[in-house]
Amino acid sequence: MKQKTDVLQGTLALMVLKTLDVLGPLHGYGIARRIEQISGDLLAVNQGTLYPVLLKLEQEGAIASEWGASENNRRARFYRLTREGRKQLQVETQDWEQTAAIIGRFFEAKAEDLS
Amino acid sequence: MRFLKRFLSRLFNSATRRANDERLREEIEEHIALQTAENLRAGLSGVEARRQAMLKFGGVEAMKEDYRAERGLLFIENLLWDLRNAGRSISRMPGLAAVIIVSLAIGIGVNTTIFSWIQMILFEPMPAVRGAANFLLIEPRTETGGYPGASWLEYRDLQTQVPALRDIVAFQTVAFNVGETGRTERTHGQLVSGNYFSALGLKPAIGRLIRPEEAERTGTEPVVVISYDYWQTRFRGAPEAVGQKLHVNERDLIVIGVAPRDFQGTMVPLKFELWVPATMTPALLGGTRDLEDRSTRAFSLIGMLEPGATREEAQAQFSTAMAQFARDYPEASAGIGGEILTFWKAPRGPQRLLISGLAILQGVMLLLLLAVCGNTANLMLARGSTRQREMAVRVALGAGRWRIVSLVLTENMLLALLGAGLGAAMAVWGTTALRVAPMIGAFPILFPTRVDELTLAFAILLGAACGLIFSAAPVVHLIRLGPQDGLRSNSNTPPRSRARKALMGVEVGLAMVVLIAAALFLQSFRSARQTDPRFRPEGVLLAAYDLSGRNPDEASEREFAARLLERLRTLPDVEAGAIATNVPLDLHGIPARSFTVQGRVRTEPGQDRAISNTVTPGYFKVMAIPLLEGNDFAEMGDRAAPAQAIVNEEFVRRYLNGADAIGRRIQTRGGSFAIIGVARNSAYDAFDEPAQPAVYLSYRDRPADQGEIHLRTRTGNETALTSEARAVLRDLDPMLPLYDVRTFSQHIERNLYLRRIPARMFAVLGPLLLGLAAIGIYAVVSYAVARRTREIGVRLAFGATSARVVLQIIRENLGVIGWGAATGWVLALVISVRAITKGAIDLPIFIGVPAILLSAATLACWIPARRASRIDPMAALRHE
Repeated sequence: MKQKTDVLQGTLALMVLKTLDVLGPLHGYGIARRIEQISGDLLAVNQGTLYPVLLKLEQEGAIASEWGASENNRRARFYRLTREGRKQLQVETQDWEQTAAIIGRFFEAKAEDLS
Repeated sequence: MRFLKRFLSRLFNSATRRANDERLREEIEEHIALQTAENLRAGLSGVEARRQAMLKFGGVEAMKEDYRAERGLLFIENLLWDLRNAGRSISRMPGLAAVIIVSLAIGIGVNTTIFSWIQMILFEPMPAVRGAANFLLIEPRTETGGYPGASWLEYRDLQTQVPALRDIVAFQTVAFNVGETGRTERTHGQLVSGNYFSALGLKPAIGRLIRPEEAERTGTEPVVVISYDYWQTRFRGAPEAVGQKLHVNERDLIVIGVAPRDFQGTMVPLKFELWVPATMTPALLGGTRDLEDRSTRAFSLIGMLEPGATREEAQAQFSTAMAQFARDYPEASAGIGGEILTFWKAPRGPQRLLISGLAILQGVMLLLLLAVCGNTANLMLARGSTRQREMAVRVALGAGRWRIVSLVLTENMLLALLGAGLGAAMAVWGTTALRVAPMIGAFPILFPTRVDELTLAFAILLGAACGLIFSAAPVVHLIRLGPQDGLRSNSNTPPRSRARKALMGVEVGLAMVVLIAAALFLQSFRSARQTDPRFRPEGVLLAAYDLSGRNPDEASEREFAARLLERLRTLPDVEAGAIATNVPLDLHGIPARSFTVQGRVRTEPGQDRAISNTVTPGYFKVMAIPLLEGNDFAEMGDRAAPAQAIVNEEFVRRYLNGADAIGRRIQTRGGSFAIIGVARNSAYDAFDEPAQPAVYLSYRDRPADQGEIHLRTRTGNETALTSEARAVLRDLDPMLPLYDVRTFSQHIERNLYLRRIPARMFAVLGPLLLGLAAIGIYAVVSYAVARRTREIGVRLAFGATSARVVLQIIRENLGVIGWGAATGWVLALVISVRAITKGAIDLPIFIGVPAILLSAATLACWIPARRASRIDPMAALRHE
């Protein structure tokens, strides 16, 4: 149970960082929308799960937040990437690509390749 | 790093929980508002748009939980919550909590007090000396197992011949007469080697301490270091004390400094006031040959291991050196080996006395604490069962099993630690109250015990251990609890808790052991005071004088004693007077002497030994010990009579098979004595000792430089003689103080002091434990009875008499109690027979204690049983 959340959180965190990197400061709803648009169904069920992830990232110092005004002119919390977050994103992107590449190669491998 | 950052921010968040909750709520609201707006744009109706938005967001409460878990420190938050809850739940049961806390506090307090004493002996045998426990005792040992001490020359040789030890320190204890003519005061001090203070690593409070070179040449350095207390009381703490003269044993010594505040010498718990270089010994003790004579073993040695050296090396080097001495100086050192011992294994002196007693005491008291734990466990179990429903509701609402357990643990730990806190406070009070002992025997004693971090840690550890012990049963019970059990059980069959009954049995058993131990102890203490010592201590005044500072010869010692006696006997209120070297019933005991007696051939190896006291004529009259045969000693001035001895009945029985003793000769190392009388047996070392053989020698034949004056008053008020006796001595020798003046009764009381402490503890703890056991039984039975209200109601409705119901409840519980009590009784019996009374069984105790305990137990069963039997059957059936 716990592990599954961790995995989800890990990937979710990476998505959040990437979203903020590409689009600049956004409020929670904006981030959720963007991730939903790109990832399809992954967050369709529980948008709420985003908030614990945001909090964790903020506590780690990867993102920062401040109050601002939303599109419909209400108070909203805007998140932005910090310098540390950018570094973290770079490192994790590399890691992720590496991992993905390895896993990819494994899936492509046939019986005769491994023997 | 990242972890740390998160931890800190979580800690911060835990503290600012409310503001954060508000922020999250606002964010969620905004999120949903935006999603709703989006949905409206997509063409949904107002209500549906919001519903869809909420659905998409997911479970808010679950998310909040996640968020909180992410944000704060769940563990700490839960702990705080548990603590708050525990506090509330404890405050709801003030009576029960008070019983638990106070009983634990007493158990822990007593144990902590004893521990602080043991701690002193083990870890801090010399206050103010850092690393004192690392010092080793360097003890010459005779073939027969005696520890005679070391001579000064031996000490000088050992310094170079045992390289594994550095800074060997030598010291001997002396009683000085300090002060001006006619106003001298007896003060205890140590004659020390020059490296004494430097080896102990001490810094002076003011002035300086003795330097190593000051104990090199004999008699050249008339200096003295005084204790902090002495400085405060005699010099009012004035800095000018340094450089002043102190008149010690008729010599002027210059005060060079003050020892550090808590330092009281190297023979704790003895307390010394003066330290003088050992090279002053001949000057202060009237020309003794302590420093030149290898057979005068006046010094004690201690030392620390050289870094890297082992005790085995030191022991080997020491043994080699002692063997060499035995070859080189056979007349002084033949047959003397040596042992290197840790401080707490002291083979002689006051420490020896303390250690064995303390170990037993601690054992018994830990047992008592265990019984208290059993009692508490029972109370908690009984209470825990009434809370079963509450717990079941918590489980049903989704509380994890471990959350429930931690809830209970927190509550119990809180109780235990409150108990430990109160116990530690009691220990602080206890150690201070017991610190200053009255003068025991000739030396002032101060127990340098205190409650420090280690003692507190011990108390807390005990508390935590108790908490765990008495939590075990309720926790096990809770873990087995299913969510529906608690909700059901109340109206259904009562669960008969085997655990509770077993605990009740164990507790009663423990209580039995401790109560019997307490009773035996009190009994031995009381018998010690009530047994007839077979002499009459009432109306006798004791006082001591000491000529050792003059180094007198035998003739002058005899002369002095004779003149002193003569003057004392002329006092109008003195009925009889005598001088003796030893006083019976002294804490340190009376020395024994080995001898051969004419007409007896010893078949087994070894030597005949008897208690030996040297007394003046008139002694038997003062002590009211009748002479069964023969006469008293010849007068002090009689030069014609041969050397005389008087023996006691036991001596005649044991060594002469009851044959006629008068006229036989006794041969000791000190000479040959003719037996001229037989005295009745009396107590020598303890009130309740078996009869010991004793030999009295005459002061006339063997005068000594120290004497204990015994005066029997005519008026019955022996203290009134004090000033007259002082005046007589001052007349005779203005420089000589009369010290240690006390009535014989006071002498006995003081010497019972060490026994009195545990006796008092037991006197308080015994009844307390009995009370606790009764409360425990009461709690268990009343709980069990309450659970069976319905059953009892049915029984009564069918015509059972209430007496029958009561009887049945009592019988059920007494069965378990009886088992526990019987086991405890047997255990106590075995311990008593094998360890304490050595075979004899004290029947009144072994019958009386169980009788009292079982009566209390029956009463504790009867009260709740009777209450139950009085209920109205109809009400009972409607119950629940």
